[in-house]
Amino acid sequence: MIYGDKKTGILVQGATGKQGEFHIGLMNAYAQQAGGRGVVAGVTPGKGGREVHGVPVYNTVREAMRDHDISASVIFVPAAAAADAIMEEAHAGIRTIVAITEHIPVHDAMKAIAYAKMEGCRVIGPNCPGLLSPGEVKMGIMPSGLFSRGNVGVISRSGTLTYEVVDELTRAGIGQSTVVGIGGDPVIGQTFVDVLEQFEKDPQTKAVILIGEVGGNLEEEGAKSTSLPIVSYIAGISAPPDKRMGHAGAIVEGGEGDARSKIARLKKAGVPVAARVSEIPEMVRGLFRSC
Amino acid sequence: MKLVEHEAKNVVKEFGIAVPAGFLISSADEIPSHLDALGERIVLKAQVDVGGRGKAGGIMMANPQNAVSLAQELFNKTIKGLPVHEILIEQRLEIQHEYYLSITVDRSSKQPLILFSDDGGVEIEVTAKEHPEAIRKGVANPLMRDLPPFMIRELIGSAPKDVGPVINKLYHAFCDKDALLAEINPLVITPQGVYAADAKFIVDDNALGRQGVTVNRDLSEREREAETHGFSYVELGGSIGVIGNGAGLTMATLDLIEFYGGKAANFLDVGGGAESERVMRAVRLVASVPSVKVIVVNLLGGITKCDEVAKGIIDAGIHQKVIVRLAGTNEAAGRKMLSEKGYEMLDTMDLVVKKAVQVTA
Repeated sequence: MIYGDKKTGILVQGATGKQGEFHIGLMNAYAQQAGGRGVVAGVTPGKGGREVHGVPVYNTVREAMRDHDISASVIFVPAAAAADAIMEEAHAGIRTIVAITEHIPVHDAMKAIAYAKMEGCRVIGPNCPGLLSPGEVKMGIMPSGLFSRGNVGVISRSGTLTYEVVDELTRAGIGQSTVVGIGGDPVIGQTFVDVLEQFEKDPQTKAVILIGEVGGNLEEEGAKSTSLPIVSYIAGISAPPDKRMGHAGAIVEGGEGDARSKIARLKKAGVPVAARVSEIPEMVRGLFRSC
Repeated sequence: MKLVEHEAKNVVKEFGIAVPAGFLISSADEIPSHLDALGERIVLKAQVDVGGRGKAGGIMMANPQNAVSLAQELFNKTIKGLPVHEILIEQRLEIQHEYYLSITVDRSSKQPLILFSDDGGVEIEVTAKEHPEAIRKGVANPLMRDLPPFMIRELIGSAPKDVGPVINKLYHAFCDKDALLAEINPLVITPQGVYAADAKFIVDDNALGRQGVTVNRDLSEREREAETHGFSYVELGGSIGVIGNGAGLTMATLDLIEFYGGKAANFLDVGGGAESERVMRAVRLVASVPSVKVIVVNLLGGITKCDEVAKGIIDAGIHQKVIVRLAGTNEAAGRKMLSEKGYEMLDTMDLVVKKAVQVTA
């Protein structure tokens, strides 16, 4: 598993909001099952002193860090305040930040990610479902019922499509090491390259599934960067140019990043690309047979 | 959201970059009152959002004597199918050299990327193919307000020094206006100084609110209605309506339609945790497109509850056939409600899509 384990103490920013409260409950239910620490503190400015599902809430990240051993965080604050939340956590010394928030302006994301990098911390997202390592830790909003433990890593730009793939894998008896949703925005912290670098160092992970979308060329960069066996799927082959397909990042700009040329480049790099999600489990089995 | 030329020029002007004297007109009758300010050499530019506007006849050279009649001619034209509602009438510059300058968001480095080329007036993609050596690149640190002087020196190469400040000014405009693209092409050297002869801006849709933009013009009326309900919605022109949750899953559903030889009419992403009323609105919106013969609903419930979805589908009460794939939270309850009303339900996305393609074939 990567980015954290049972021992990881998690902080949630935006703890008292509807989303934050709901998912603190789910994350801690998962931690209880797995025997992990889960969410140990929450932060909402002005709401210090409260409790959410028994988790103490603080006004600032620094205050929470003083009382607890925290190494990761999950952010649910609204878009207008999310970049600041990332920077506050990076400055306070949190090393892994998962930003769930969607609709963050790109310029805010560029600043927050540059700031976090300067402070030596990693940002997963924004506009992502977070990550889940079955039997170990859940940081984010993924529906844990679909997952099973195993040795296939999954990296994806999308949420529900990831669940679809995980569901197919689990039904086919293929377990997962860590499933990471890296986010659907044009500017994200951890890209395919960064997550693959983590998977390379993880003894549990034997193969990786890359779930990409139209827009940019981060999938190809990732595929070229790793020695791990990979299967890929790219959504958006039917996406018309210059139309934003739900995700701000899922847009074919000036002919760049369209699915067909992306798939062609991946295949050229020797990566098998599934035409349908339902083909993925069989292709993963193929990888294991050939190595 | 894309800005049209005259809006983009107003932005660069606001940031201290010179633009040719010009006026936006919606009728040729407005021209005589502007002639004194324009001088002898005039250009008429149709304000239509198409690439290759000049080649398509959207730009006309004029003089004070023929400006009115040429403008009338231009107003009566269509440029690549688009009618001309507005013309920018401008002073024509005395061009000594044309450069290219743009700033975009670079996904790989996660930073602003500045491109400067000695070959202006042509599209950058063409230069990249034919004279890649003419293009110079710089990556800006988003935490710094100004571009460092060394980077500007690297970018301009042997271009006149006056070009340097223009790059920094455009960088300020790019940041302050939440731009995804800021482009000046061509950036023109004249005996009177450096001018932006054409400008392009795309503003981040996620920042329109703080930029004071209330209506996103890039969206159709239905797309805008969808946006007010918090849906992502795209029209595609076929006969199968698609409703999903999450952009990736919805896109994958569209791709599957293409895989099986069908054609999607539209795409609606209801987002996470949709309640029955939102689902009802979504179904009605997708069904309101006349070409929609059948609707595929493909929802994977995490925080979305299947019984809420089922209620929404039933409440929508539309006349088109709805084929449903529901999985996840409260799945059994949702399925029971739909099967009692006689809706067709299938277990996987492959099956629902195959069925929808058969129905429309």
